[in-house]
Amino acid sequence: MQVAGAVAAERLHVSVFGHAYVGLGAVVIALLFYLAIAAQITQSSYDISRLQDQQRQLLAEQDQLRYQEVTLHAPAQVQQQAAQSGMQRVVPSSYVPGQQVAIDLGAPVGASPADTTPLWLRAVAALLNGAGGTRDVMAATKK
Amino acid sequence: MATRALSSRRPGRVERVGSARLRVISMLALALVLAGLVWSRMAYWQVAEHGRLAMAAQAQYREFVELPALRGAIFDRNLTQLVVNTTVYSAFVSPDQITAGERDGVAGGLSSVLGVDKTAVMQTLQSSVKFAYIARRFSKTKADSLRALKLPGVGLQEETQRSYLPGAQGGTTLAADLLGFVNWNGDGQGGLEQKYQKLLAGTPGYISSYRDLANREIILGSHTHQDPVDGSDLVLSLDASIQYAAEQALADGVKRDNAESGSVLVMDPATGGIVAWADYPGYSGNDFNHTDPALFKDNVLSYVYEPGSVMKVVTLSGAMNAEAITPNTVINDPGVLTVGGYRIYDWDHRNHGNIDYTYVLEHSLNVGAMKAMQVEGHDAFYKNLQAFGLTQPSGIDVAGENFIPPPPAAQMADSQYATAAFGQGIDVNMVQMLAAINVVANGGKYAPPHVVERVGTQVNPLLLQPQRQVISAQTAAQMTVMMQQVVQHGSGWTSRIRGFEFDQAGKTGTSQIPVNGQYTQDVWSSFVGFLPAQHPRFTMLVVVRKPHYPGADRDWTLNDGYLTAEPIWQKIAQTIVVDWHITPDPA
Repeated sequence: MQVAGAVAAERLHVSVFGHAYVGLGAVVIALLFYLAIAAQITQSSYDISRLQDQQRQLLAEQDQLRYQEVTLHAPAQVQQQAAQSGMQRVVPSSYVPGQQVAIDLGAPVGASPADTTPLWLRAVAALLNGAGGTRDVMAATKK
Repeated sequence: MATRALSSRRPGRVERVGSARLRVISMLALALVLAGLVWSRMAYWQVAEHGRLAMAAQAQYREFVELPALRGAIFDRNLTQLVVNTTVYSAFVSPDQITAGERDGVAGGLSSVLGVDKTAVMQTLQSSVKFAYIARRFSKTKADSLRALKLPGVGLQEETQRSYLPGAQGGTTLAADLLGFVNWNGDGQGGLEQKYQKLLAGTPGYISSYRDLANREIILGSHTHQDPVDGSDLVLSLDASIQYAAEQALADGVKRDNAESGSVLVMDPATGGIVAWADYPGYSGNDFNHTDPALFKDNVLSYVYEPGSVMKVVTLSGAMNAEAITPNTVINDPGVLTVGGYRIYDWDHRNHGNIDYTYVLEHSLNVGAMKAMQVEGHDAFYKNLQAFGLTQPSGIDVAGENFIPPPPAAQMADSQYATAAFGQGIDVNMVQMLAAINVVANGGKYAPPHVVERVGTQVNPLLLQPQRQVISAQTAAQMTVMMQQVVQHGSGWTSRIRGFEFDQAGKTGTSQIPVNGQYTQDVWSSFVGFLPAQHPRFTMLVVVRKPHYPGADRDWTLNDGYLTAEPIWQKIAQTIVVDWHITPDPA
């Protein structure tokens, strides 16, 4: 194994100039890679810049549309449209007389209503509940 | 060897060596001086001038852009947006970048798209200026058309503009006096825009990034970035529909009365929130740069006036609260009273005989008001004015409040107390006066007047504070009944609304306008009222300035509030009743 390793090392052995060329090549590759990345970044920057500009214009358009929308609901516009449709504000000829209703929020709630579910249904429900069935069975059957 | 060498030296040789050394030293010195010069120059540029040069260099490749904060929106009580931020454009030219041959084409393009005068543009292009605006603040549609022309030396600048809703009158915007406007520097001018400038404007951010040779931004390069903090939104107590109706009725009324101007203020009695704030003539906040600056004055808050007989509500309420009088107290009114050497008359100069205070208010009699003040006493009357908020500014959250304090109590003459009792010789603004009358509508409590209910998500702290009790609830109820009588039997009859004839309260006011210390025939006419009387949903004050009602040149009393201000009040109240679904209280 040692002999084979030494042979391989001998075959792979390169001169000093070879090392220099390899090193230089690596540097050039790294440089080119860096330049490519930098160019890509710059290109992306320009794309983003262009899109931002487009976004600004769309926002401006959105603002204008919003103003148009708000103006359409403005009282001035509503009245104008109503007048065009022949609608007029009418003064009420009479009013429905109000009637005061006494509500005592402090009054006791009182007893809860009696359960009118048939006995057999309660028994079935208890059975189903015990067997792991749904606990909503009573509510469901009462509907 | 050394000894021999030394001994072999000739004297002349020794001299030459010395000369060479001198030359070397002098060369070294020269080199040092030269190097010193270079070093000192380098030190100058690199140390002394470092900051400036670094800044200059940065200016070439770095860009500092301010990121403007979005100004907060303003909504009414129903969340109707009253102001919208819109993007507008300004076109500018750089004449030095346009050749002589291109000038005609550029001027023609600008003229056709922006509608500007071509000759004026040509003059600008031929001038030696480096920068000039051609048109400012136009729409995106025009900007797109201009951009499509790709004119050399022409640039577009984006700006933000506040756009307000259209008002009731052509060329005006809704609630212009209340809202104010924002100038081209982004500063609020007048109204809420000025009062809440800091909150609405927010805090701008910035971005600092690199630019390439073509002046294009390199966004993904190293840069610093601070996001802007947008301004807060305001939610007002205003109702846009009522505001519109108020502007419309006011404009119609002022025109009908041939008046100089008029104003309307509507308040929510329970909270003190302003529901409508109208002023005629108004202006357009969207076109403030072409507006007569005199129109920017907000007459609701900046104009002080003598309230006239509306003040009798305050005078009689105070006297009743002090138990000096009751609505049924009988007095004798001969039609005139002499106070401090002055003979002061009732408006009709008539002897009314024995009357009670309900009658005094119904018929708006000055003698009765003066007698009530005299029975109550000067000190109590003055304290009453203070309690009703008439001796200090209202403190409402709108910019530009004008206020004239009355003289200190000790310095007021008897005649001043007498005239103040019926609202002459005392100056107030409309907000002060309405807030004072609203005490009666609000069960005797003073509701601080305000416009903004919420800033962002925060409720106005004013709304959470307990209200000051000015008069007892019983006194307020008594005064309400007296004011109902004014509508049913007195001068308030023109304000009646169908279905509410027995359920509305009000009081007229007419006061002569003094000029150079003399009262003239011109008047301020006003009417204040609320309904339903027992459970008020709104309180409203209408003031008409210098009305000239048909026939008033023969009889100035025709300019009285019942003929001028009341019909305006009635029209607006009718709209509120319908819009807010108000029904009369069951009898």
